[in-house]
Amino acid sequence: MWNKIEGAPRETIEETQLKRLKETLERVYELTSFYKEKFDELGIAPKDIKTLKDIAKLPFTKKQDLRNHYPFGLFCVPMSEVVRVHSSSGTTGKPTVVGYTQSDMDVWDEVMARVYTMAGATAEDVVHNAYGYGLFTGGLGFDSGAKKIGATTIPASSGFTDRQIMLMKDFNATILAATPSFALHMYETAKKSGSGYLKDFKLKSGVFGAEPTSDGLKEEVSRVWGIDYHEVYGLSEIIGPGVSSNCKHSKLLHVNEDHFYPEIVDYKTGKVLPDGERGELVITSLTKQALPIIRYRTGDITSLHRAPCACGRTLVRMESIVGRVDDMIIVNGVNVYPSQVEHVIANTEGVTLNYQIIADKKGHLDKIDILVEVSDEVLSDSVAEMEKIKKDIQHSLANNLYINANVKLVEPRTLERSMGKAVRVVDKRI
Amino acid sequence: MSKIIKQLSIFVENKMGELSDITTLLASEHISIESINLSDASDFGILRLIVDDSQRAKEILEKNGFSSRFTDVFAVEIGDHVGSFNSVIKALAKQNINIEYTYTISNAEIGAFIFKVADIELENAIKTLEKAGIHLLCEI
Repeated sequence: MWNKIEGAPRETIEETQLKRLKETLERVYELTSFYKEKFDELGIAPKDIKTLKDIAKLPFTKKQDLRNHYPFGLFCVPMSEVVRVHSSSGTTGKPTVVGYTQSDMDVWDEVMARVYTMAGATAEDVVHNAYGYGLFTGGLGFDSGAKKIGATTIPASSGFTDRQIMLMKDFNATILAATPSFALHMYETAKKSGSGYLKDFKLKSGVFGAEPTSDGLKEEVSRVWGIDYHEVYGLSEIIGPGVSSNCKHSKLLHVNEDHFYPEIVDYKTGKVLPDGERGELVITSLTKQALPIIRYRTGDITSLHRAPCACGRTLVRMESIVGRVDDMIIVNGVNVYPSQVEHVIANTEGVTLNYQIIADKKGHLDKIDILVEVSDEVLSDSVAEMEKIKKDIQHSLANNLYINANVKLVEPRTLERSMGKAVRVVDKRI
Repeated sequence: MSKIIKQLSIFVENKMGELSDITTLLASEHISIESINLSDASDFGILRLIVDDSQRAKEILEKNGFSSRFTDVFAVEIGDHVGSFNSVIKALAKQNINIEYTYTISNAEIGAFIFKVADIELENAIKTLEKAGIHLLCEI
């Protein structure tokens, strides 16, 4: 454990949370007209929040709110105190911009140090950081956490796969920090140099995140590299990577809830859901200075669990993200998450295949096409065998997800992978 | 010398210009196609090629986003007289070896056919034919 608060009694954690929540609310109410107006509209003042449960009375903040105040409109400190700015890619409209004071940077280092410690990393380790350095929080987030624990950092950043693999090998990297799809891409590239080449890597574990990942893909990354898979969750609006991650004892991610307060809500009604139930993850920052954020709708679907963990940490744990509120599509009344589709394909074929879901209308009914890329691993010399793969996937989708999809096998270059985020859903109905 | 020939099986979508994309690609890399066969389903097919440098062809295809794999096949010389094809089929049938597919080699100077049988029966098929005095090609 990096910090003893991670294993503190629940009362201590909750006391800390309530104290920090109250301070945060006082600050946003005083310093931003955006929050003051929203609170006033609901007839709520910071002093009305007396317990942690009262947080449900507060209004939500959405991504659009950040865009509406582009770039620095919601910052609560003068720019002289802001030491860093990051930004998300902004696929639609303006990007979202986030700022950090020095104390925000210290919190980020702290939570990332916890992440690395959970993955078994110490000052003895060499971290190969293949997250992109730049406005994206991945590169610098994984960089500063590695520095905090005293590990050696290789700031490889993204791209130049061949060179990265050479450096990872020659510098004896023990920890790989990367997106899971890039980790697989690296393996596929390394494999071309022969199986003897793969034996000489010193990797023991990896810290992976930044994209929704099915169990099948995680297991594949772990298997091909022969390393422990540690998942890291985060988003720039909250801090970047470091909101939560898993230890070696379970797949559930410990949420650093002394800094980020998590809730699960019904994404339609906004009602808070009990532990164990899946819904949209909502996070309130408890210590952020530059850009505090109240009840931020992450759009990520997960659930919270309070059963104690074998590692001794008492922090609440969250399930790995099962889908996105905005990725979720309803096909003839059935909810379909892309991650479930990925899971079904991985279970049916034994390997993770790249895919894309296309929803469309046929008359009054919804129809769904799933394009699945044929990799060398599943390719057969027989047309009948290939037809069988297609039918098998169709059957498992019908049996497991209750959807009648038309599976279409496509060539590997058809769908984008590892460069940027893969487009998993194309909804032609909207 | 081994009588096993490495055939390249390539996944192709059934869409305009697909085949010419592959042949153009291989031609530009000076890969010579010795034999070609296409087997198709409704929306995709398997293109089977025998080329002069199959390892390099596979790498080129992979780099350009095509999935491919090697398939072990063998080539049988078939004389231009009645019953010559039949003698091959009969020899295999006697040993209960099932033929998955067969096609002619397009540019062979002598008449020849490519045969694909199940991998576990490959060695047996080759031995059977050689025993029956049928000539198999070492390379194409």
